[in-house]
Parts: sequence; C-alpha cells; structure tokens
Amino acid sequence: MLAWLFDTAYETQVRAALWSTLAAGLATAVLFAYTLGLRFATVIGARRRRHLVARWRGIFATAVLSRADAEGELLPRIRRHQHSNLLEEWNRARDTVEGSAADNLIILADRLGLARTARGLLRSRRLSARLLGVQTLGHLRDADSRAEIAALVASPNTALSITSAVALTEIDAARAVEKLVPLITARRDWPRTRVSRILRKAGSARVSEPLYRAIRSGDDDEKIYLLQFAPLAEAEIVDALCDELIRTTHHPGVLTAALKQVSGHTGVPRLASLARHEAWYVRMQVAKVLGRIGQMEHVSLLASLLDDPEWWVRYRAAQSLVRLPFLGPNALRDLRERQEDRYARDMLEQAMAEAGLA
Amino acid sequence: MTAADFVLGAQWVFLTYFVGINLGYLSQNVIATMGIRRYLQTAEQFEAEGVFSALDVPVSVVVPAYNESASIISSVKALLQLEYPDFELVVVNDGSTDDTLEKLIEGFSLQPFPEAYRARVECKPVKAIYRSARYRNLRVIDKENGGCKADASNAGINACRYPLVCVVDADSILQPDSLRRIVRPFLEDSTTVAVGGTVRIANGCTVRQGFLEKVGLPSNFLALVQVVEYLRAFLFGRMGWSPINGLLIISGAFGVFHKETMVEVGGFNPRAVGEDMELILRLHRLMKAKRRPYRITFIPDPVCWTDAPETLKDLRSQRVRWQHGLGQCLFMNRSLIFNPRGGAVSWLAIPFYLIFELFGPIIEVAGYVFIIVCAWMGWLSWPEAAIFLALAIGLGILLSTSAIMLEELSFHMYPRTRDLMVLYLVAVIENLGYRQLTAFWRLQGLIRWWRGGQHKWETITRSTSLADN
Repeated sequence: MLAWLFDTAYETQVRAALWSTLAAGLATAVLFAYTLGLRFATVIGARRRRHLVARWRGIFATAVLSRADAEGELLPRIRRHQHSNLLEEWNRARDTVEGSAADNLIILADRLGLARTARGLLRSRRLSARLLGVQTLGHLRDADSRAEIAALVASPNTALSITSAVALTEIDAARAVEKLVPLITARRDWPRTRVSRILRKAGSARVSEPLYRAIRSGDDDEKIYLLQFAPLAEAEIVDALCDELIRTTHHPGVLTAALKQVSGHTGVPRLASLARHEAWYVRMQVAKVLGRIGQMEHVSLLASLLDDPEWWVRYRAAQSLVRLPFLGPNALRDLRERQEDRYARDMLEQAMAEAGLA
Repeated sequence: MTAADFVLGAQWVFLTYFVGINLGYLSQNVIATMGIRRYLQTAEQFEAEGVFSALDVPVSVVVPAYNESASIISSVKALLQLEYPDFELVVVNDGSTDDTLEKLIEGFSLQPFPEAYRARVECKPVKAIYRSARYRNLRVIDKENGGCKADASNAGINACRYPLVCVVDADSILQPDSLRRIVRPFLEDSTTVAVGGTVRIANGCTVRQGFLEKVGLPSNFLALVQVVEYLRAFLFGRMGWSPINGLLIISGAFGVFHKETMVEVGGFNPRAVGEDMELILRLHRLMKAKRRPYRITFIPDPVCWTDAPETLKDLRSQRVRWQHGLGQCLFMNRSLIFNPRGGAVSWLAIPFYLIFELFGPIIEVAGYVFIIVCAWMGWLSWPEAAIFLALAIGLGILLSTSAIMLEELSFHMYPRTRDLMVLYLVAVIENLGYRQLTAFWRLQGLIRWWRGGQHKWETITRSTSLADN
C-alpha cells in the first residue's frame, strides 16, 4: 500500500483517494480518542465536583445562618483545580440568599480570597471563565472591579455583556441603571427577560426616571421597545407618560404600546376616537383598557366593538364586558340578545361561557 | 462512445458527486461545531435565570391526533405538565374512527364550548369544540377527517389564541422544559418566525407518565442505527444550515412558529406529503418575496423524543414517504431555486438538497449497479475499488464519529460509556448494508413522487419498549 502512495506513475485519482482514506481514518481515530477523553474528563470532573459540593455545601449553609461562623469557621485548604467548582458552588449559594445571609457569604468569600480568583478569571481567554468571574464579582459587590466590568458591558458577546450589566447592578444599582437604560434600545440582543430582571432588581424608584427620559427622547421604534419595561417603573409615572403619548402620537405601534401599559385610571385620553382607529390592534387595546377602567359609561363603546371586523377586537371587547363587575349574567344576556350582528352574539356567548356565565 | 469512454465518464460523475456530498457534509460539520460551541457558551447563562417574567410570550400547543386512543390520555397529561408560565393546549381530533374523542371527553371532563371559531387557514369543517372543566388551558377541537396531519394542524392553528404556535405530534415525548428552551430564539431575536429543535430516538428509553425518565439505547438494530442517523441529521445536518439561515426543515414532531406569519402563508399545506418541510420552504419564499428580515432557527437541545420504526416494512414506508415529500416540497417551491434574492437558501441549501438529497439516490444506486456490472464484465480494478470503498466507508464513519463527538461535547445524553462504544460500533456497521438499503428506498420514494402518490395519516407500529412504559 505504501508503494501506491508514493508511486508517481499511479493514477492521481487513486492516490488522492488513498491519501483521503488515510486522512479520514486518522481524523476518525483522533475524534474517537477526543470523545473518550471528553467522557473521562466529564466523569472525573463530576466526581471531583461531588466531593467539593459535599464538603463546601455545609460550610456555606452554616455561614448563611451565622455571621460568627462565616468569620471564624476553620476552612479546608483549596486546591488550584477546585477554584472553578468552588466559585460556581459559592455563586449558587449566593443566588439563593439576600440580606444578612448574603453579607455572611461575602465575608466567607473574602476569607477564601474569591475576589482575587474572580478578577484573574476576567482576563481569561475562555468565555465561560470570564462569565464566572463577572458573575462572582457582581455577587461579591466588588466595587474595585466596577470599571473593568463596566467596560465589558460594551462587549459584542451577548452573554458577557448582559452578565456584566447584571453584575454592575449588584455593585451599584443607581449608577448601573443610569448607564444601562440608555443602552437597552441599542442592545436588542439582550434578552428582554434579563433586562427586566436587572430593572426589577434595581427597583422601580431607581428605574422610573431614567426610563421615562429614555422613552420620551427615543424615536417611535425605541419608544415601543422601551415601553415593554414600563411595568418595572412607578405606576404614576407610567400612567402620566402613557397619557402623554396617547394624546400626542399618531404612530399605531406607539399607541398600542402605551395603551398596553396604561393602568385602569379614569383619565385615559382619546379612547372613543381610538376605538375607531384603522389599526385593529389599537382598537383591541382600547377594548382592554376600557375593561380595566370598568366604568358604566363605557359599556356602549365596548358593545360597539363587539361587531368589529377583527376577531381579536370582538374577543377582547366581550371579555372586558363580561369582567365588568356591575354587569350580571342577566344584563349580559340582554346585551347579547340586543346585538344584531351574529358574530357579536357568538363572541359574547363565548366570553360568557369562558367565565362560567353561559 | 466506447465502453471505456462510458466507464471513464461514469467514474467522473460518481467521483464528482462523492467529493461534492462529502465536502458539503464536512462544511456543515464545521459550521455546526462552531454553532453548538457558541450556543453552549451562552445557554448555561441564559438558563441560569430560571425565572420567567410577564414578558415571556404565551404559547399555544397544537396536538393533531388521529386514532390515538391508546396513548392520547398520557400524551395530553404529559403536555399539561410542561414547564412554561403561560400556554394553552389545543388537541385536534381529526375525525378519528376509534374512541380517541370519547377518551378525551372522559379523561379530561370535556364540555361543549360555544367558541366563536374563525377559519383563517384552510381545513375541513369543525364539528364541535370542547373545553376541559378541570384544566382551564385545555381545549379539544373535533373536526371532520381531513386525511392528513396538515389539515388537523390548521384547525388547531385557527383555534389558537397566543402569538406562538407549537405543533407537536401526539406521540412525541417532550422534555418538561422543551417549550422554555425552544422559545428562547423568539425572545432573543424578534425577527424569528420558526424554531426547531433536535429530535432523538425514544426506543430503548424509559418513559414515565409521558416524560422521558432515563435515556438508553434500543436493543432493536434498526432503531439503533437510527439513533446515529438522527444524531448526524440533527446535530450537524440542521445545525449546519441554521447559522446561515438556510434551514429547510423543522421536524413536524415538534416545532414552534410565529402564528401571524404562519397564517399569512396559509398554514400547513394539506396536499403536501412533507407538510413540515413545505411550510418552511413557503416561509422562506414569502419572507424573501416581501423582503422582510426573518430568522428560521434551530436549537441543538434535545427537546423531543420520538418512536422510530423497528421493522423493515415501517422503515421502508417512512423513508419512501420522506423522499416523496422532499421531491414534492422542492417542486412546489421551485421558484426559490437560484432566486437572485434568495440568499443561502436559494444558492446553497436548495441546490444541495436537490443534488445530494433528492437526486442523490439515483447516483448512489447507479453507483452500486455500476460496480456490479463492472465486476461482472471484468472491468473492475479490485485494488482501486477497494480504496474507493474504504474511502466511502471511512468518510461515513468520520461523519458519524463527528456527530457522536458533538453529542458528547454538548448534551452527553448517553451516560454509560458502554452506550458510547455501541454507537461507535453502529457507526461502522451501518455502512455495510443499511445505507445501501435506505438509498434504494429513497430511490423508490423518488419514483413515487415522480408518479404522484397519495397523502394520508401515517401509522407505524409502536416499539414494545415504549408501549410497556
């Protein structure tokens, strides 16, 4: 076979095939060995992790309960290969507690030198190590790392960027919110669930003002995007902002987003005219808002939406009517019978059946 | 043309095909490996959140069912336990001739419900709609038999109320967190219109109360080969196309779609044999025609487990149907081929599917016949033939090994080292007979498409291992 490989007289195709066969065989052998290596590394890693967890979980639990134990308990020696597992386990414990229990865990982490280890990870080439470092420093509220973490918020890597944003919020929520809210519209790659969690953690009192400013100054698209986070701001500020937007904007998307967020207060402007808006999703939101407000004077407006050409508008109008506390089953039945449109009657019947009033 | 010229020409055709298909698969492999690594780097961080806020999109889960009397109750019970904050379950009884509907009515205390149903996508008439007195998020649509899953799915889509629709086979086994995982691309990218996930073989696994309890390998050889086949098909076959937005199929066993976009394209096509693939191709076509930015995404997470055929008869029927469906889908959406605005779909994915997946069996079977004829006529150079055979088998094994490596690197669902070894063994053995057999069946499927075959609900014999569970 070796003679074929180097025999120049042999047909090129065949020699290429032979070389390719050998290359495929070699690649298969390498992949096979790598996979087995992965398997053994996983098994050994899991065993090491089990040992570490068995040893440290109790220590973390004791520290959570008692500051004296966090400060004074005799700690086992940490080997180098245990660092990552220990940080992960500490973060896991830290994720579950707040207040004094979290403070105790931070005291314990200081004694273990976890901040130094985590800072070292920030400069790692491995993304998972950097993420672990950022997460740990956030949980440690390590103000010394604030600038370094703030720089990572601009990372094009979504996970690193958003994890850094979370860590910043933990270190200094007020400053973090001021920095992060203006970035939200530019970072559409940030999952909305994570953004909402950051804002919730910061608290509505801190979020309201920067969010209000960002929504007011943003273009229509940015307004729509940011209004999703309005429930995380203070209700009075949201209502005032939404009323202003409903009064001033003609953009159906912004109108819808604002109507979605407005609470059930009585002064929502332009509802009667918006109930005839050309975009069905605006009319649907009007039906929902009318249901939230729950005023007798709006019954006829809601009833007029029952024969809307769009199914969703009819459905929301019927649901809102059924939920009005002052309309009992008999009144609803009367209302249904008075409807000339078959679709309107069907929809009210469905909504009543859903509410157990049929 | 002399016989020698013919043989030489044929050799070049086979060689070109061989080089092309393997380069294609190896490229997909590289793209998939990078994609999976990137996905896994972020997945843990995203999953670590664990908490879903009101911003999560509610999902309607549509379960088309035809004569599923034996398993419908456990399937629906399992689906009701999915870990997701807000979802509704819409079971569609497609005029079953057994007691599927009666079992549902009794099992879930269903009551007739006066729903203002609207037919937005084409399907056979709905006879009645029921709502469960016990589970507020469960509705059952009883409709006239439409003869296929597509028609039943469309009735379900019409009844859905939420912005995302998940279509799932009644016999699919899901992970409790399947919905949570598969919805993630919609949360990350608002242009996402469809998402699919990895489907795995459930034969040999332990299933309890409709959920997968323990992963294992089947004892049946055909099912075992399909485990490796599915690893290849999903971990790099689909993952390789997804990063370049060239995914052409999302498995009908479990996929999530943006409902309004789905309605806009007319839902599933009841005339398509491969209705799942046809829908994806039509989505590509519509979005490109309207010049709208969109993503059709695949996640490598094993979100759905399905029963694989264990007999030659069932397997043949499945493969013939798949090939028939492939031909029909590509033909129905032929305007996508080399469409100037089509991007990776038109210039890479469809040509690859057309040459190597659709017409591949012709070349493959012709290749086998060619070797036999050459051997018969004494034209075959045995050493050379052995080298090419070794190369073909070697590359086949390499691709399977790579898929097994990706599985180990990512989800390592087969915890026993023995299982890993069995998979490697199968990766070798499948090249000796199984692949040739499936190539022949695929050729039959191609002929059936050419002649124009009929489409109806497909039933396969359940594997004993699952039925016992």
